[in-house]
Amino acid sequence: MSTMSTPVAADAPQAKMVIERTYRARVEELWELWTTKAGFESWWGPEGFRVEVHALEPRAGGALEYDMIADAADAIAAMKRLGQPVSHGTRGRFAEFKPFERLTLVHVIDFIPGVGPYESTIEVDFHASGDHARMVVTLHPHRDPHWTKMSAEGFRSQLTKLDKRFGGLG
Amino acid sequence: MQMNPFEALADPTRRRIVEALRCGERPVGEIVDRAGVRQSGVSRHLRILHESGFVSVRPDGQRRLYALRPEPFRELDAWLAGYRRLWEARLDRFGAALEERRGDRGATKKEPRK
Repeated sequence: MSTMSTPVAADAPQAKMVIERTYRARVEELWELWTTKAGFESWWGPEGFRVEVHALEPRAGGALEYDMIADAADAIAAMKRLGQPVSHGTRGRFAEFKPFERLTLVHVIDFIPGVGPYESTIEVDFHASGDHARMVVTLHPHRDPHWTKMSAEGFRSQLTKLDKRFGGLG
Repeated sequence: MQMNPFEALADPTRRRIVEALRCGERPVGEIVDRAGVRQSGVSRHLRILHESGFVSVRPDGQRRLYALRPEPFRELDAWLAGYRRLWEARLDRFGAALEERRGDRGATKKEPRK
């Protein structure tokens, strides 16, 4: 596994953040995890939450709609502590969709109190490399850092567990 | 209303002003020259940067000198580190899901990764 990210710079505060991973798998297998209901539900979201996909249209412009549901006791407690519902519907779409090569996933962020709806884009590029597949995820950090910071703090305990559990995988 | 750090730095003119201040404190005239911004708008941008905590100002005779403050940059950096951790964890989960599916299919013998 390899990981890298681009640090923020003073002259580019909304610089993209890039996270790169290499998995011992075929590109097609990675692609499935992003573009099928079962695949997406199997990993999306933080530990302690599950995702229930209502619509996933695997094509350019196709809809992605799902509920993010806190289902572990500590995740439920964390959301309550943050004053947030334990489940919320999320809408998005696949803006770009080039099978086994690239997709972009646009989420509509419309659940932040006091902040009007805006779109958040995730770019994913896939590269085959021998018996491995490389995945490059490019993120555009959310516009409201306070929200994400709050979420990050709420999920910290779950992240610690994840680090231990999956630390050796990649 | 005070902007959050991202909003404060979202404006390209304000980013040029920040860039112009990277080498130390400067009066408005030098900021205008270095950043290539209009004199007419620079006061408003400096006020926003000041209110957002990015810039400090102190009198120096007839002039006012502006300088960068490190705190909001540290805050941005810390926030981004947290954001990155969330995604690292999410991709750990992606890797685990991948392993699980491969195991279920039995197409490839699952090998423990380092």
